[in-house]
Order: sequence, then structure tokens, then C-alpha cells
Amino acid sequence: MNEELLYFFYDLGQYLINGITQGSIYALIALGYTMVYGIIKLINFAHGEFYMIGAFVGYYLVISGASLWIAFPAAMLGAGVVAVIIERLVYRPIRHAGRIAALISALGTSLFFQYLGQGTVGADPKTFPPVIEEISYEWGEMMISNIQIIIIITTIVLMLVLRWLVSSTRIGMAMRAVSFNHDAAELMGIDTNKIISFTFFVGAALAGAAGVLVGLYYNTIEPMMGLMPGLKAFVAAVLGGIGIIPGAALGGLVLGIVENLVTGFWASNYRDAIAFGILIIILLIKPTGLMGKNIREKV
Amino acid sequence: MDYLAHLALNAGVFMILALGLNLINGVCGQFSLGHAGFWAVGAYAGAAYSLFAPLPIPDWANLLISCGVGFTAAAIAGLIIGIPCLRLRGDYLAIATLGFGEIIRIMINNMEVLGGSRGLTGIPAWSNLFWIYLFVVLTVLFMINLVRGTHGRAIISIREDEIAADSMGINTFKYKTIAFAIGAGLAGLAGPLFAHAQQFLHPNNFTFIWSVIILLMVILGGLGSISGAIVGALILTALPEVLRFMGETVAQWRMVIYSVMLIALMLLRPEGIFGKRELTLHWLQKLLRDRGVG
Amino acid sequence: MSLASTSPILKLSDLTIRFGGLTAVDRVNISLGSNDLVGIIGPNGAGKTTIFNMVTGLYQPSEGAIELENSSIVGMRPAHITQAGIARTFQNIRLFNELTVLDNVRLARHSRTSYSLLASIFRTKGFHQEEAVIKDRAVEILKLFKLEKKSHLLARQLPYGEQRRLEIARALATDPKVLLLDEPAAGMNPNETMDLAELIKWIHDEFKIATLLIEHDMKLVMNTCQRIYVVDHGVLIAHGCPNEIQNNPKVVEAYLGTSESSEKERS
Repeated sequence: MNEELLYFFYDLGQYLINGITQGSIYALIALGYTMVYGIIKLINFAHGEFYMIGAFVGYYLVISGASLWIAFPAAMLGAGVVAVIIERLVYRPIRHAGRIAALISALGTSLFFQYLGQGTVGADPKTFPPVIEEISYEWGEMMISNIQIIIIITTIVLMLVLRWLVSSTRIGMAMRAVSFNHDAAELMGIDTNKIISFTFFVGAALAGAAGVLVGLYYNTIEPMMGLMPGLKAFVAAVLGGIGIIPGAALGGLVLGIVENLVTGFWASNYRDAIAFGILIIILLIKPTGLMGKNIREKV
Repeated sequence: MDYLAHLALNAGVFMILALGLNLINGVCGQFSLGHAGFWAVGAYAGAAYSLFAPLPIPDWANLLISCGVGFTAAAIAGLIIGIPCLRLRGDYLAIATLGFGEIIRIMINNMEVLGGSRGLTGIPAWSNLFWIYLFVVLTVLFMINLVRGTHGRAIISIREDEIAADSMGINTFKYKTIAFAIGAGLAGLAGPLFAHAQQFLHPNNFTFIWSVIILLMVILGGLGSISGAIVGALILTALPEVLRFMGETVAQWRMVIYSVMLIALMLLRPEGIFGKRELTLHWLQKLLRDRGVG
Repeated sequence: MSLASTSPILKLSDLTIRFGGLTAVDRVNISLGSNDLVGIIGPNGAGKTTIFNMVTGLYQPSEGAIELENSSIVGMRPAHITQAGIARTFQNIRLFNELTVLDNVRLARHSRTSYSLLASIFRTKGFHQEEAVIKDRAVEILKLFKLEKKSHLLARQLPYGEQRRLEIARALATDPKVLLLDEPAAGMNPNETMDLAELIKWIHDEFKIATLLIEHDMKLVMNTCQRIYVVDHGVLIAHGCPNEIQNNPKVVEAYLGTSESSEKERS
């Protein structure tokens, strides 16, 4: 094979590996975005901050000596609990005040955590301890690390658990009922508030898991780290079809791959612009997303 | 004195920015989170004119052309972003404009002609308090005349009930687009006025957080209220300075205070200080009278 | 049927719409003469409002034609359909709540206004002249509906019945050729409903426009309309003058049948 072509394929392969890893992270965050949107039609701007909180809970546990087996679930729990508190204190009282009011509160919540983080732990990035020794496996010019494999496998496992939770448990059924029709679910005797809290919890726990994984992957975390991945995960959710759980997984993966291909082959300075470019294109071509169905507003 | 002049200058720029955002978010009921992006487009476009292609005419005339360039560039950017997104529901517009603001900033960061990440220096000092406040007054008059005509009423009706507006024969998409383009254009107008006063532009002047602060100005004053936007801009320009007097720690927590304000406003007084009302003499009299009686 | 008009102003032919697998309206034919007052009745969920939504361009029909004065309006935007001469009210009142009563009616004159945005900004002579005309016309209409004394109140401050009246006044202010009223009696007590029947008849005489009335309340339709269409499950099951409809066994079964069973449920 022509050498140039060979290197092209090596590059392509490497970008795909990195893209799938990055995409897994986006997907984990996007799942929470889409679940919350599906159930209360709110774009939860603060969702990226749950990811940041998860990363910090994990960080502080690990540096105080806890093993990853404890830090990881604790980070999920911590992010989930914060989300439930925020839902109770901010989103629930505002739920009936209209979309814009809710969206602005979500924005405020997001800023609150970012700057609270800066004020308390400081704006400087912190080094996430390398609790897992990095081992790279090479194949030609391509490399995959054990951490990348861990990220991908953990994501798959968490998604399978979520799938089981939503499709086969009573509470999952209730979640689907509430997102399908709030009032009807209420009439059926479902405690919608409880279900909404639970949805926030699960979504934020997934984001918290992503936070720890990113800490392991990039080794640095900081209070503003949630902003961009949060926004990008939203784009991933829209790309897949907002409100559709498998759509978020697909959207996250596609976004991660496209981002790595474009920055790798073409414009490395525009990494953060790609997601928004995709968003505008998808809104133009198919606003319901890749897996979306057409819906109409009731008049 | 210099310090106060500097504050007054910023306040004027933010008044124009807030008036523009108020047209989009308050009067028309759409939701833009990319106002800093349009501001950046206007600032850089206007500054580029003044640096690279100024006409051999008096400075004030060049400033006016620069402002025209800023307005037009931002309004066109508004059309490009608005046309695809205004067909969709409000929250998509919010994210798309936010994304747009970020794209603009990243693009400027990578444009060496415009100084890139080093910033753009050497912008002539053509702007001052007089020009800024002249444009504040003109913008206020523009807004008043706009909302008190059939086109302005059409824009308001979209906020009130888009479907009803449509069935009143109002081309809602057209008016959303007009409101959006004018609002973006006003942000663009604030750009050159700011640039020619600061004489220096940097992409970090236009981060997402500024879009949020401008939004907070509009919400604080009362979405849809022209006088509210002015008062909101004034308060939020002065507030950081007041906080600074209260000590270094308080100043550090400025953004935390802002975010709590944003949430508290939404929870407790979503209509802002003025609601949709205007601060007019008539209303002030009535308020005083009511207080007197009560 | 002897009552069919000569040249219909509004004609729906084989109008059909499907939502996913569900056919909500199935090959409905309705024609309305230029001076007709016609009712559409049917049980809840029969597809009446869906027909209105198609006529006013909010929904796109899957099949069939809608013609206003012999030219098709399918695919036109709602605003253009209103400009072409069809105005409507909504089942669940859609006023501009935070605007004054006067501004609600003034807005209806928007599509009949010609001054430009720049004229508005620079307050030209043309602007002042036309605004004066708009105001006169709006006040005139408000007077006809006995709302002129409340013209400076916000729409949401009006009592329910007056909100209904204002919504009809606003629709008429667009100078329509066809007026579509969607359950105007919803939420009214029997007395108010009787007043409304008089109002509808009066509008029809006063403005001389074709009126299509959707109503759940059988009595209101029987009292006001010259002809009645009956829709059930998206299908037209009967058409005729009030007497014919009242004695049509199909109607009794579909319409009265359901209302009887629903009364049983209630008790």
C-alpha cells in the first residue's frame, strides 16, 4: 500500500478512537439533558455543572485516599443529589412560569455553580491523580490507552443499565408515562414530582460519572469545565433528537467523531466551533434530529 | 473624574446593547443569548473600517460610517442566524445564538488581520461620551417610535400569542426576523462606539458571560420596557463598583451574586423592576399619588 | 338540498388530514355561500376545530382542496389566508392579554396598513394620517360591540363574556369575507349563550359576511344557522337545515347518543 495512504488510514483510525472516547463522554452528559428535556421540556443549562460537580467529588475523594471503586459511585451520587436539590429549590417552583423563565433560571443555576466553584476551590485547574496507570496499546501508528477502553466500556455499561431502568422497571415506566403526558400520568396516580426528581437524579449521576472519567482521561479539572461539554452535549441531544434517549447516545458519538475528524484533518483551532456549526446545520435541515419524529403544536 | 467618565461611557454602551436585546427578548418574546457575539461583529467590523479603509473625511464622519458598518454587519449576522432558527421554538434560538456568539469569538481569535488572540490595537479615539449618549438618545427615540406603530405592535403581538398574531394577518416570521436583525444591529452599533472609546479590542471582551450580563440588565429592568433596559444597564454597570467598595471578597463573588439575582428575579419578580411599563412622568405621578392615598 | 348557494365563497372538497395513522378528518365537503350562516356540529374530538385549522393554514391538509372565491388557499401561510379574507376566533380565546382592548383591534388592521417601518420611525405625515384612520376604524368596531368604554383596559382585565366579544370584534376588524367562529359559547351560561346567538345573527346581518360556526351547543346552532353540517369521527354524516338535522336518525345516534352516555357517566 502507498505509504501516504497508509498514514492517512492510521490518522483516520486514531481520530476515530479519540472521537469515540470523546463521544462517549458527550453521550453520557447528553443522556441527562435529553431525559430532563423529555420529562419537563426544560433545557437544563446547569447540566454541565453536574458533570463538573461529579468530577470534583471524585477528585476530593481520590486525593483523600479513597479508591476509585468508592470515588466513582460517590461522584455519581453527589452529582445526583445536587441535581435533586436544585430541582426542588429552583426548577419546581418555576415550572409553571413559562419556558423562558425556566430557561433563565437554569442559566442562573449554571453560572452560580461555575462561580461558586471558582470562589471556593479556586479558578486554577487541579490535577486529577493518575489512579489508573496509563498503558497504551499500539497498532501501527494508532494508539489506544487502557483509560480510553475503560471510558468506552463504562459508558456502554451505564447505557445498558439506563436502558434496563427505563424499559423494564416500574419507575422507568412511570418516567415514560410522565414524559408522554404529564396530566394523564398524574391522574393514573403517578407522583410526577417524585418521577421528575428521580429523572434529574439519574441524568446528573450519568453526568457525574462522565466528570470522573474525564478527570482520569485528561488529568485536569476546573470549575468552568462544565460549560463547553454541557453545551456540546446539548447539541448532541438535539442532533440525536431531543427527548429521545437512544438519540442522545447516537448524537454524542457522532459529535465526538465529527469533532475529532474535523480538528484532526482540517481546522484544529476551531474545535469548539464545530459543535455549534453542526447545531445550526441540523436545525436547518432536520430540527427534530436524526431519530426524531415530527410533532405539532396543539392549537 | 476619569474613573467616572469611564463608567459613564460603559453605561452608555450597555444601554444601547440592552435596548437591542430588549427588542428581541422583551418586545418580541424571542430568546437570544448571543448578544455579545453581535456586539463583537459590530465592534470588529467598525474598527476594521477605521483602521484599514477610512475615508479622507473628518473623524466624526468616519465614526458615523464606522457605526453604520457595525450596525449593518451585525444585522446581517443576525439575519444569517435568525432565519434558520426563528422558525423553531424559542429554546433552540437561545442555544443557536449562544453557539453563534462562541463561533464568532473563536473565529476572531484565529483572524490575524484582526489581531487574533493578541487583540486589536491602535483604533483611533473618535468616540466619546457625547457620541455615545447621542446614540443612546437616538436609540431610545427609535424604539419608542417603533413600538408605537403598526410594525411595533405586530412585533409585540408575537410575544403575546404567535398563533393569534398569525391569524390576525401578521406575517410573524417576517416580524421576528426584523426584530431580531434590528436588535442584533443595535448591538453592532454599540460595537464601534465602544471600540473607538477603548481604542483596543480583544475577543475576551465578548465572551458568553457578557451576553448573560446584558440579558440580566434587560430582565432586571423589565422585559419589554425601554426605560427598564436603561435603568437595568445603569444598575449593573454601577453594581460591580459598589461591590468593590464593599471589599475585595464581595467583589470576587460578583458573578455568584449576579447568578443568584437572576434566579431570585425569576422566582420572585419575573417581570423585573418596571414590568412592561415605561418610566414616564405620568406613571411616576400616579405612583406617588397611589402611595399618598395608600 | 334546496338551500345550497349559487356560487360558494368558501369551498372545502374532500378535505382530509392524517396524524400518523389516525385520519382526523376524512373527505369532508363543505360549501359556504357569500351570505350564509352555517354551523358545524359534532361531538368532542370529531374534527371540527381541525377543519378550521386547515382552512386557516395552521395545519396542512393531507388531501383535498380549500378554495376561497374559486382560488386555492392550500399551502398559504396563516397570515396570507387572513389577508385573503378569512378571519377566525379560537375555542380557548387567544387575545393579546397584555395589550389594551384598543390595541387588540388595531393589530387586526395591520395587514390593511400601508405605511412603512421607516415612516413609523420618522413619524411622517402618512404615518399620522393612517394611524388616525386605524384608530377611528378600531373605535368604530369597538362601539358596535359596546366595548368602546373599555378600550384602554388590558384585554385580560375584561370579564369572560367581553373577551369573547372582543375576539369576534378583532376578527371582524381584519375585513374578512368569511368569519370562522370556534365554539364561541364555550364556558357560557344559558343566558349568555342566548345573547351570543343574537349577537351572531346581528353580525351576520350587519356585516353581511359568510359565517361558519363550530358549536358543541346544539341549541345555539339550531337557533342561528340556516344550514348545518354534522361531523363525527372526522366524517361528515349529515347536512341540511335545522329541522332535517334534528330528525336525522344518524345525528341522533352519533350526537345525542354520546351526550346521553356521557351524562350517564357523570351520574
